Amino acid sequence: MSPAPSAEKPLAGLEEIKKNYPASSAALMPALYEARRQFGWLSPEALSAVADALNLPKAAVRSTASFYGMFNQGKTGRHLVRICTNVACMVLGAGSVLEKLEARYGLTPGGTSRDGRFSLAVTECIGACDKGPAMLVDDDMHTDLTGERITEVLERYE
Amino acid sequence: MIKYLLGNIDNPNAAEIEEYEKAGGYRALTKALSMEPEDVIGEVRKSGLRGRGGAGFPTGMKWMFAANDPKFPKYVICNADEGEPGTFKDRHILEKNPHVLIEGMAIAVHALKAERGYIYLRGEYPEAEKSLQKAINDAYRKGYLGFPLHIHRGAGAYICGEETALIESLEGKRGQPRLKPPFPVNAGFFGGPTVINNVETLANLPFIMASGADSYLKIGSPECPGNKLFPVSGHVERPGVFELPMGTTLREIIYEHAGGIKNGRALKAVIPGGISAPVLPPDKIDCPMDFVSVQKYGSMLGSGAVMVFAEGTCLVKVAWRALKFFEHESCGKCTPCREGTGWLRSILERIENGQGREGDIELMEDVAGNIAGNTFCPLGDGAASVALNFIRHFRSEFEDHIGTDCRKMAVL
Amino acid sequence: MMTLTINGRKVELEAPVTILEAAKRNGIDIPTLCHHPALELWGGCRMCLVEVEKMPRLQTACTVRVADGMAVRTETPRVVAARKAILEFLLINHPLECPTCDKAGICALQDLTVRYGAVAGRFEEGKRVFPEVVDDPVIVRNMKRCIMCTRCVRMCDGVQGASAIGVIEKGARSHIEPFSGGRYNCEYCGNCLAVCPVGAIMSKLHRYTYRPWQMEKTVKTICSFCGVGCTLRLEVRDESIKRVSAEFGDGVNNGLLCGRGRFGYEYVDSPERLKTPMIRRDGRLERATWDEALDYAAGRLLEIKKENGGGAIGGIAGGRATNEEIYLFQKLLRAGFGSNNIDSIARLGLLPAQKILEDIFGQGAVANLISGIPRSEAVLVVASDPTRTNPVMGLEVRAAARAGRKVIAIGHIDGLRRHRTRRLEAKTGPGQETMIMAGLLSELLKIKPLSGENPEFEEAIKAWGKTLPGPDEVEKATGVSALLISGTAADLKDVSTSSIIAGRELASSMDIRTNMMMLAALGYILNSRIFLISEHPNEQGLIEMGCSPEMLPGERPVDVRTFREKCEQAWGAGINPEAGLTLMEMIEQAGASIKALYVMGEDPAFGLPSRGRVKEALGRLDFLIVQDIFMTGTAAMADVVFPALAWSEKDGTYTNLEKRIQRLKKAVIKEGIEDWRILAEIGKRAGLPSRYRGVADIFREIAQVSPIHAGLGFESIEEGGVLWPYKGKPLSVSSSPSSAAGRFPGSGKAVSISPPPDRNVLKLVLDKPLLHSGTLSTHSDALMDLTGGPEARLCPETGGKLGIADGDAVKVSTGEGQISLRARLESGLPEDALFISNDFREAGAFELFGYQLEPESKTPVLTVQNLKVERL
Repeated sequence: MSPAPSAEKPLAGLEEIKKNYPASSAALMPALYEARRQFGWLSPEALSAVADALNLPKAAVRSTASFYGMFNQGKTGRHLVRICTNVACMVLGAGSVLEKLEARYGLTPGGTSRDGRFSLAVTECIGACDKGPAMLVDDDMHTDLTGERITEVLERYE
Repeated sequence: MIKYLLGNIDNPNAAEIEEYEKAGGYRALTKALSMEPEDVIGEVRKSGLRGRGGAGFPTGMKWMFAANDPKFPKYVICNADEGEPGTFKDRHILEKNPHVLIEGMAIAVHALKAERGYIYLRGEYPEAEKSLQKAINDAYRKGYLGFPLHIHRGAGAYICGEETALIESLEGKRGQPRLKPPFPVNAGFFGGPTVINNVETLANLPFIMASGADSYLKIGSPECPGNKLFPVSGHVERPGVFELPMGTTLREIIYEHAGGIKNGRALKAVIPGGISAPVLPPDKIDCPMDFVSVQKYGSMLGSGAVMVFAEGTCLVKVAWRALKFFEHESCGKCTPCREGTGWLRSILERIENGQGREGDIELMEDVAGNIAGNTFCPLGDGAASVALNFIRHFRSEFEDHIGTDCRKMAVL
Repeated sequence: MMTLTINGRKVELEAPVTILEAAKRNGIDIPTLCHHPALELWGGCRMCLVEVEKMPRLQTACTVRVADGMAVRTETPRVVAARKAILEFLLINHPLECPTCDKAGICALQDLTVRYGAVAGRFEEGKRVFPEVVDDPVIVRNMKRCIMCTRCVRMCDGVQGASAIGVIEKGARSHIEPFSGGRYNCEYCGNCLAVCPVGAIMSKLHRYTYRPWQMEKTVKTICSFCGVGCTLRLEVRDESIKRVSAEFGDGVNNGLLCGRGRFGYEYVDSPERLKTPMIRRDGRLERATWDEALDYAAGRLLEIKKENGGGAIGGIAGGRATNEEIYLFQKLLRAGFGSNNIDSIARLGLLPAQKILEDIFGQGAVANLISGIPRSEAVLVVASDPTRTNPVMGLEVRAAARAGRKVIAIGHIDGLRRHRTRRLEAKTGPGQETMIMAGLLSELLKIKPLSGENPEFEEAIKAWGKTLPGPDEVEKATGVSALLISGTAADLKDVSTSSIIAGRELASSMDIRTNMMMLAALGYILNSRIFLISEHPNEQGLIEMGCSPEMLPGERPVDVRTFREKCEQAWGAGINPEAGLTLMEMIEQAGASIKALYVMGEDPAFGLPSRGRVKEALGRLDFLIVQDIFMTGTAAMADVVFPALAWSEKDGTYTNLEKRIQRLKKAVIKEGIEDWRILAEIGKRAGLPSRYRGVADIFREIAQVSPIHAGLGFESIEEGGVLWPYKGKPLSVSSSPSSAAGRFPGSGKAVSISPPPDRNVLKLVLDKPLLHSGTLSTHSDALMDLTGGPEARLCPETGGKLGIADGDAVKVSTGEGQISLRARLESGLPEDALFISNDFREAGAFELFGYQLEPESKTPVLTVQNLKVERL
């Protein structure tokens, strides 16, 4: 996730996105993705910038953003680890994978490792039930996790 | 057996437009475009195609309602918000055979004289977004798409799979279900008549248009024709997605296609249609998997996602995790779902932790009974029915669990 | 026609309504929580579940419409069980802290629990907890108590149009917050707390000081803040207002209020209220008895009359006085002291604007129903911002925008910024609306066919239209794109009904006549109802009751003998046939031809431009009487001060901007003498016999004297008020088509439009804040807590140019004077404009503005010279 937005024109790309919808209010979710990318997280400043860019009330922007798990996150570490703990992954051992994360990185759900490298979120089904336990690290899917495999995978992320 | 959804799946380049064309892709669209929109709708109606999202509503009829509404612009939205736990069938289409969906959308847009198409894609499917976007670009490049088709990424809210919640979300709002009527076919996206079809539903269209409704009707069962994707997970030897005719039995799916229970153990329970579908005990696995039959067996086909639990699995824990899911995904609009799902979860949690009490099972039945039928949308019903059916089929396990700390879990 | 069977009873329905509504009409009560008649349907709480035959599931009565032949049961065992279940769900997380909740006693959840029986607590886990948020000066948020009915959010979004709060998170973690999470920083209408069925959102005023059932009386009266005339309820205990509320279905406001109306009442209990009469002795104001003060006041006025004639006495009345007080005031001056020098702040805009429009279209031309605004196909808002000055009328404009009507904002209309409007805003700053209207008008005349209803008038405006600048010229002058203007005109081409809202900004202008003719022409072409913003609750009453130098009660010209005679007969005294001096003329003549001034409920030393010079003028008077509730700047200079009663302490009537006469009712008993009695007592001493037993008698006399009020009595005004046309006779001078045209300049007469100011030159704009409107509001603690003091608002770009940052202390000076205040940077404001209001004593804009009299209307037009801003 990239830090600090470019100073002059935040969310400049939204003009193009707005054209994909009959009303600019519908561009809110893509705008929130874009703001998250530019600001690193959906801080009050980021939400205000989105509201200004789309001429929407700030409270409405915040309300919508907070509804969605992927937008309703505070500041995260450099990488966001989302581990599925739903039934299919659970019966295949997601619990032991979580234990390993805590032991190895001190990561607990909702927390960030001390070095700021990883943040952990437990998540609902991510559609990899045939290869569970599964996780997303940022936008990369990793499956068939075990206590060993997960550290091996995570070590690839700086 | 014909496989028209994921037939080409073993080809590593199946997602490439050239490969898709080679296998006959986009000919159905060309044919559909040469037909009057009404005739396309007629063909779909004749095919008996039923929506693959879970409710099994006849697709042709849905289209007709939208087509008959005098208002314009109309919209076609693909529901690719596959979030039902245990379900990963649409992801396979999106990542490995995206053109069958795009072709299906183009057919729908033509049939409905729609102005735009949207694919509402789960936020948790970044891979699918990449392959889909590339496929859309390629389809434009090759001149197959004469309308704007956009991907709209969801952001982690299961309820957006409900079609009115999906529309709210697409309009940039909180994904909470709308009052019905009006139905989306009359007043959907920004008030325009809107057809929302599941990925798999739309992916059926190229075959129907290319081979004709009559050929389609020969597949599957008479009331539920066509192939169905069955994603199988849990304690089986070969988990994965299987494209089989509607009406294939649960037994065949589990024991033949998915290779049977892992490590030769006994089957304890199976959920036949994603987590919202009532759990079934092993003596019900001769159930043919189609919309009508599964209901007769006391569950529902739902997404067709088969979740298999072997002997040794703690079903209290499974039920607890399922309720935790519903609690987490409840949108909060209506009272019984918002307050009741968490209550059920908390009772299950104490039973699971060995702190269950006398009367807890009855309390759960009562609370679930108070949710069922009283909620705004089906999410609450699903939660209640999960709780009620686990108790119904496995009551003694729940009773035994009261006062017992079970921290063991079946990891096979 | 359709039939519904409800609880076994067959009922007929004309149109398909919801089951809830059908039940209500038949006396059957179905409990609800999330439903509210003013709000969008929700169906979330599930409290109103009922059994509908042939439907397997229970249905929500609030959302399901009755179909012919439907059979509904509203209280079967199954329904009752479901409602009990819903209540149980709601209560598992609801803190049972009713003893310390201000809502207890008027709480819907409490009442329903009583109705359906409390259930034994079966929920044993910890309740959901949210901390109480008390960061806001007036609104307390206690989300533990929230039942997520979302009425507050739907109110804020769908009715108030402020969208200041939203549901945060989802599911069981849902709660309601403003953007900041703490302070609301909103419009502070408080309509959210009015619709909260539980104690989740409550007023901080008088928190924990009363139980709802301990209120001694609830009095329905009219708000004292602006010309909309909202109906509100004063809830009183120990002769003190504890709460102001409004009932949905009541009044022009239909239960909605603005921040001033809801939270601004505390001034009446201010310790600074004047309590006894005072007389200046040896240069100091000292307490006096009523008799001393009355004798002294009357005696001095009589002396001055004797020495200099009645023309040496003048009177200025304020817009918060009742009709009865205003009537007696002008009667006192006219008949008691022989002077027609009577005027008011209506001179600053409403009076001259109304007169010009009525001269064209006839009396009552601007008497239109506010409720009609959202039903118009188009709404034009020009120069003035109704959402700030007349907030509840502003809501109707927003409602129109929400309903997809064509709403056109001409000028900088802050309160419509985020609503669906076409915005025609000059790049050169506010004040260019004349040009923009001209462009729109000339374009409309080109493309929109006229109705043919008044051919002579049409000829006149067509000829006039040819002299107007077209869109291209307007673009050059104002920066508003010609394309936008012609696009707007095209958008209005097929409009057949519309509303136009305009205010003081158009009247307080050297172009007043041109502006009004534009409104008249646009109004004719677009078939408009015209609304003139009225900043004071009884500004219209000032006009109708004869509080102007040229008009007797009923707006009859004083120079017409028959009208005079009617009054003379009733009053038993002669009336000077010549019109008197207007507001600013009296000030200018102070010490010269004007020797004495009687000021009732007004503060000219603060509320008029060129404050320094106004004060000097007042200082030159021989004798000054002030009747007010506070020691105002003017009162401090007076020779006699009479303590007045506040609006909640007296009876009477107010006339709102629709020309609706409404009853003001005494809610609180306060020591003192009603204002009308003070006037009557002075009158007695000046030889005017007084036989009034109360205000009803005065109104009876008004009905006798004023032709438009003929036939009206207090009784007819009680519920809902009396609407224009009243039973009486309007002035019939200009109702014929040709006279309308005649009052319009024909072809050949060029339009005078003042040249636009240069870009990049800083302009001073008179700000009209939402939460303040002068002296009274600044004595209300709640409003002061919300907007703590004077501010100069400017946009960040202008701030950057001037080197001013948000919160900086700045000194603003002009040729008139200088003030120091804080700068507030706000995006969205026009560039090169400095907005300063005239509400705060320590730094009011009228210290900076000079004025120039518009020769015809004598309205003071604000001027600015040598504007300078520096950071302190």
